[in-house]
Amino acid sequence: MADASLAYRYPLAPFYDVVMTPPSPAPSSLRTLKDRIATGLITAAGIGVLLAILAIGVFLVWETLPLLTHFDTLSLEKLSPLAWGTLKAAIAALVLAVPVALGAAIFSALFMTDRLRARIKPSLELMEAVPGVVIGFVAGLVLAPWVERHLASTLALLLWLPLSAGLAGILWHLAPKALRRALSLESAGLWLLPWIAATAALVLWAAPILEQQWLGSDLATFLDRRFGIDYTTRNTLIVGLAMGFAIIPSVYSLAEDALYDIPKPLMEGAQALGASRWQALWKVALPMAGPGIFSAVMIGAGRAVGETMIVLMASSNAALMSASPFEGLRSFSAAIAIELPEAPPDSQTYHLLILAALVLFLFTFLVNTLAEVVRQRLRRRYQRLGGA
Amino acid sequence: MKSPRSRPARIVAALLMGGLLWLATPAVWAAPITGTLGATGSDTMASLVLRWGEALAARHPGITMQLQAGGSSIAAAALVAGTTRLAPMSRPLSRAERERFEHRYGYPPRELRVARDALVVVVHRHNPLRAITRQTLDALFSSTLACGGEAPIRRWDDLPPPLDWPFGHVALHGRNQASGTFDLFRQRALCGGRFRADISEYPGSSAVIAAVGSAPNAMGYSGYHHLTPMVRALALINAEGEAIDPTPETIQSGEYPLARNLYLYVNAAPGTPLPPAERAFIELILSDEGQQIVRAAGFVPLADEALEVSQN
Repeated sequence: MADASLAYRYPLAPFYDVVMTPPSPAPSSLRTLKDRIATGLITAAGIGVLLAILAIGVFLVWETLPLLTHFDTLSLEKLSPLAWGTLKAAIAALVLAVPVALGAAIFSALFMTDRLRARIKPSLELMEAVPGVVIGFVAGLVLAPWVERHLASTLALLLWLPLSAGLAGILWHLAPKALRRALSLESAGLWLLPWIAATAALVLWAAPILEQQWLGSDLATFLDRRFGIDYTTRNTLIVGLAMGFAIIPSVYSLAEDALYDIPKPLMEGAQALGASRWQALWKVALPMAGPGIFSAVMIGAGRAVGETMIVLMASSNAALMSASPFEGLRSFSAAIAIELPEAPPDSQTYHLLILAALVLFLFTFLVNTLAEVVRQRLRRRYQRLGGA
Repeated sequence: MKSPRSRPARIVAALLMGGLLWLATPAVWAAPITGTLGATGSDTMASLVLRWGEALAARHPGITMQLQAGGSSIAAAALVAGTTRLAPMSRPLSRAERERFEHRYGYPPRELRVARDALVVVVHRHNPLRAITRQTLDALFSSTLACGGEAPIRRWDDLPPPLDWPFGHVALHGRNQASGTFDLFRQRALCGGRFRADISEYPGSSAVIAAVGSAPNAMGYSGYHHLTPMVRALALINAEGEAIDPTPETIQSGEYPLARNLYLYVNAAPGTPLPPAERAFIELILSDEGQQIVRAAGFVPLADEALEVSQN
C-alpha cells in the first residue's frame, strides 16, 4: 500500500508532497450529484472571472470616452513620455533579466543533475514571492545611492560577471584531468560561486583605484564635466536592475519548463548520432523550445510593463523622453498610482490616467494571451513527438 | 501596621473621591456630547487633524473622529457631493468648486482658517547656498521663465552669484503633479509657468526631504512641517532685496513669500446651529490648546487677528 502511494508521488517529493487519489470503485448517485454541483460552481466562477475582466475593459473604455471630444495635442504630449518611460523600463529590465534567466534555464534543464535541479528550481521560483514593494524599497533607498557613489564599479561588475564566467570555462578546459573530475560540469553552479565572488571582489577593489588614476574623479562627475551627461540618482539603470531581478524567476521558470519538457528521445537521438551536448542544445533543443522561450520572455515583458511599485520607488518619476540610461523615467503604472488618488474626478488628468490604464490593460492582456497561445501550441507539438 | 482588610476600603474611598472630583468638572454637568465626526481632507493636514481628533476625544469621550485623507481635490469633491460635512484643505476652494457647492445647496460653504503653513526650498545640509531670489528659483525649476529670468540655470556654478559647490548639475526634486504643494509652488514660485520635465517627483513631502538630504547636488521644495536636520531651508529674497528665512514669525505674518493658510470647510446652512460635535471640534481648533497642537504638529499657529476672524 505504502509503495503504491509512493509511486503516485510527484518526482519533486521534498517540495511538492502531492499524492494522487486512486480511482474509486463504483460511483454512487450522491457522488454524481456532488460532481455536478462542483462542475456548476466551477463553471460559474470561470464565467464570473471572464465577466469581471470584460467589465473592467468596458469601464475603462467608458471613462475615456469624454476624452474623444477634446483630445488635443496637449494630451498626446502628456502621454507620450509615459509610454516611452514604460517601454524604456521594460526594455532595461529585459536586457538585464533575459540573458541571466535563459542561461539559468538552459543549464538547469539540460546540464544539471536531476537531484540538484530539484533543489535549485524551487528556490529560484521562491524569488518570485518577494513583494515588488520590498524590491522597490531596497532599490530606491539602498541600491540607488550606492550605485551613484560607485558607478564605475557597478558598470565594471555588469560587464565583468559574464566575462568571468567565460574565463572560468576556458580555464576549466586547460585544467588537468584530475581537477576537471573533481569540479564536474554538472555541479558547475556550485564551484562557480566562489570564483564569481572572488573576481567580483577584485573588481570592486580595483575599479575605484583605476577610476581615480584614469579619470581623476569618480565616473559620474567625469561624465558630467566631460560630456555634460546628467546622472539622476534613481535612474533607468536602477529600475532595470530591480525589475530585472523581479522578472528573472518567471522567465526562468517558464523557459526551463519548455526546455525540460523536450521529448527525451529527440535529445538522445541527436547525441546518439554523434552530436555533442552543445550541438544538441543549439541544433535541437533551442529550435524545439523556441516558442516556449518566446512566451517566457513575453510573460516577463508583460510583468515588466505592468509592474508598479518597483518603477514608482526606483525611478525619479520625471516624465522625460531621453534615451540615457542614467536619467529617470515615469511609467504609466507609476503615474496612475501617484496621481489618480489626488486627481479630481471628471478632470482632464483623471480621464488621461484612465486612458493610460486602458492602454496598460490592453497591452498586458494581449501579451499574456499571445504567450499562452504559443505555449499551448508548443505543448501539442511535444505531445505529437511523444514527450510528456 | 498594615492590615490587609483596610486595603479594599481605601480603594473604595479613593474611587469615591475620584468620582466626586469628576462630578465637579463642568464637562459632566453639561449634557455629554456624543457622535461620530467624519472628515475627508488633505493629506498634508492628516497628522494635524488626527491630533485634534485625539484632543477632542480627551475632552469629550463620546466623540469619535474618522478621517479619510485623500488630498485637497478629493476633499472638495466630497464636500460638494455631500459625503462629508467637514473638509480640511491645504488650499482655498477654487471658484468652480465653490460655484458647484452653491448650486447644489443654495448657500456658500463656511470657510475657517485653522493654521499657517509654508513651502520651503531645501538643499543638502552642507550646501553653502543661503538665500535665493524668485527669478533664480524660476530659472532653476521652470521651462517657461515666467518670472523674468534670462536663461535656464542647470549647474551650481551658473547661479548668480556663482556658488563654490563642485557637484555639477542641480538635481531637482519635487512633489507629484496632482498635489496642492505642486500647484502652489507653480503659482507662487514659477509665476504660473510650467515645470521642467526632468524634476524627480515623489508622492510625499518626506520623500522629497529624504532625497535632498542624501544627495549633495540636490535642491527640492516641500512642506515646512517636514523639515529635518538632513536638509537646510533657503531664505527667499523678496523684491526689496531682503532675505527672509522661513521662521514661525515670518510665516505667521505672511512676510515669507511661500506661506499659505490651511482651511477647514464646513457644510453648514447660515442661521442654523452646528451639530454639537462639530461645534466642539471647531471650538477646540480655535482654542489655545488647538493652536498648541498646530505648533506640535510642525505647522504655524494663526496670528491673533486671524484667530479672531475665524472665531467669529
